[in-house]
Amino acid sequence: MNPETLTPHAIKGIEYLLAISYLALFIPFWRFLNGATPAQAFAFSWFAVPDDVHLHRGHSWAKTLGGAVMVGLDDFGHKLIGPLDEVKLPAVGTAVRQGQKAFTVVADGESFDVVSPVDGNVVAVNEVARAHAADAVRDPYGTGWLVKVEPRWLTANLKNLLSGDSARRFLDAAAGALAGRMSPELGVVLQDGGAPVHGIAREIEPDRWAELVRQALKGA
Amino acid sequence: MSETAVTVTASAFLREKVLLGMEPKAYAKSLLTKTNAIFAAILAVGLPTMAYRFWKGMGAVSNLSQTNPWGIWVAFDIVCGVALAAGGYTVAAAVYLFGQKQFRPVLRPAILTGFLGYAFVLVGLVVDLGQPWRLPYQFFLTPGTTAVMYEVGWCVFLYLMVLGLEFLPAALEWLGLAKVRRFMSGLTIGIIVLGVTLSTLHQSSLGAFFLMSPGKLHPLWYSPFLPVFFFISSITAGIGMVIFESTLSHRAFQDQLDPEAHVDMDALQLGLAKGGAVVLFAYVFARLQGLVASGRFDLLFTGWGAWWALELLGFFLLPSFVFAFAVRTRSATLARIAGVMTVLGVVLNRFNVSLIAFNWNVEDRYVPALGEIVISVTIVTLGVLVFRWIVNRMPVLNEHPEWRGVH
Repeated sequence: MNPETLTPHAIKGIEYLLAISYLALFIPFWRFLNGATPAQAFAFSWFAVPDDVHLHRGHSWAKTLGGAVMVGLDDFGHKLIGPLDEVKLPAVGTAVRQGQKAFTVVADGESFDVVSPVDGNVVAVNEVARAHAADAVRDPYGTGWLVKVEPRWLTANLKNLLSGDSARRFLDAAAGALAGRMSPELGVVLQDGGAPVHGIAREIEPDRWAELVRQALKGA
Repeated sequence: MSETAVTVTASAFLREKVLLGMEPKAYAKSLLTKTNAIFAAILAVGLPTMAYRFWKGMGAVSNLSQTNPWGIWVAFDIVCGVALAAGGYTVAAAVYLFGQKQFRPVLRPAILTGFLGYAFVLVGLVVDLGQPWRLPYQFFLTPGTTAVMYEVGWCVFLYLMVLGLEFLPAALEWLGLAKVRRFMSGLTIGIIVLGVTLSTLHQSSLGAFFLMSPGKLHPLWYSPFLPVFFFISSITAGIGMVIFESTLSHRAFQDQLDPEAHVDMDALQLGLAKGGAVVLFAYVFARLQGLVASGRFDLLFTGWGAWWALELLGFFLLPSFVFAFAVRTRSATLARIAGVMTVLGVVLNRFNVSLIAFNWNVEDRYVPALGEIVISVTIVTLGVLVFRWIVNRMPVLNEHPEWRGVH
C-alpha cells in the first residue's frame, strides 16, 4: 500500500533542493513583479535633481552656498504647476520654519503655498525671478532660486531632507503616482519620447488640477 | 446629539432607513424585477426543502451515509465558505496592522462579505448537524477540549461575533447613533487583532480536521502540513474574493458609489494582485514540499496525480503568473481574471481535500443528492440577498458623509 520509493536521505536532499530553488526562483519572480513599468522607466529623465540639492517632500529644495541656503521650487513642482504668472516672496528678515509656508506661486489664477525646507531668516530674494516668474522653470535649481535663507540649525534640518539617490527615488515615486492617474493616451505620448508636458496637473485633472498640486505640495 | 435634533417618528424611520425613502406601496413595486423573480423561485423551492430536512432528518434529502458522513454541506457551505470569507481578515490585517491604508475603500465590503460568509457557514453547519438548540452543548455541556472540532467551534462562534463588531460601525452610522459609534472607534485595533488571531487559528484548524484521517484522504493531498496549506491558501482566497467581489459590487451598485471619493479601483486591485502573486507563488512551493515529504512521487503518474497537478499548476501557479503579469503591465482586467482563477482554485482544493480525494478508496462513492444542492444554492441566495439589503442601506461601498476618514 505504501511503497517506500526513496530513502529518507534522498527525501531530505530533495527538500533542500526544493527550498533552494524556491529562493532562487523567487528573485527573478520578484524582479519581474517590481520590474520597471513603462511609466517609471523614464521618470528619471522627467525630473532632474542635482547631487548638491536637498529636497523637501513638499517639493521645495535647498542648496548650501557659503553660510546661506538657496531655496526654490523643485523641477517636479514647476512641471506639475506649469508656467508661473507670479511669485510672492517674503520680505527680507522674515523668519521661515521647515515645513511651513515660505513663499507663494501663482499660476492660472490659482495660488499655491510652498513650504520652506529649512529654519532660518530670509536674507535675500531673487528679484529677477520675481520680475520674470515664467522663466524660473528653465533652471529651477540655479537661476530659478527664489529666496536665500540664513539657516538656524542646518545640520538638523538637512537630516529631514532628501538628496542624491533618495531624492531621485522620491521624485521617481511621485512621477509613478502621477503616471498611475494619467489617461492612457497621455502615457503613450510620453512613452514616445516626447518632452514632459508642461503643467502636468492640468493635463491629468483639468477640473481639479489645483487640488492635485496642493496635495503634492503638502508633502504628506 | 445637538438639541435641535428632531425626533424621528417610527413611520418616517421605516420609510427613510428601511424602505429607501419610498412609501410602502412604491417600495413593494420596486421589488418586482427579473432578478428578484429568480431569487424568489430559488427560495420557493429551497426554503421548503430546508424545512423538510429538519422535519424528516437529513437522510430524507441527502445521500449522506455512515461511510460518507460529510457531503457538500461540509465541503461547500463550511470548508469553502470559511476560506472564501477570508477577505475580511486579509484586508483588515493589511489596512490596520501593516499600514496599507490604500485598501480602506474595500475594507467594509470585505468585512461584510466575511461576516455574512460566516453567518451562512453557521446556517450550513446547522443544516448539516440538525437540532440547532444543541449547538451550545459543545461549549458548555460536553466540551471536548482535545478535539479540533472544539477549537473550530469556538473560533467560528467568537470570530462571527468579532466580525459583527467590525461591521457594527456601518450599522451605527446608518442608524445615526453617534455616541456608540464614537465609542466603537476606540475598540477598532483591539477587535482587528482579535479577528486576525482567530482567523489564523481556525483557517488552519479546518486543515487540521483532515489530519485525523490519513487513511481516508488520498496521499497526494494528505500532508502533516495541511493546516499550513489551509492557512496560506485562505489568504489567496481572501485576496481573490476581494478583487472579485469589488468588481461585481462596482457594477451592480454603481449608483452607490460616491463620485467625489475618486477611488481608483484599478490601482487598488493591482495592489491586491501583487500580494496575490507572491502568496500564490509561495503556496505552490509549500505544496511541493508536502509532496516531497510524503515521498510518493509514484502517485504522480496516475489519474489522481494528473488531477493533483491540474489543481496545483492550473489553479495556483498559473494565477500567480497572471497576477504578476497584470501588475507588470498594469492591466486590471488580467488581475480580475486571475482573481476569479484563484477563487476557483481554492474552491477546487477544498473540494478535493474534503470530498473528491476524500474516501477515494471506498466502493460507495458519495454523489450529492438534488436536495443537498438545492439547500446549498438556497443558502448562497440568502447570503446574496442579505448582502444586497445591507449595501443598499448602510455606508458600505461609500463613506457616510459625517464619518469620512474615521476608523
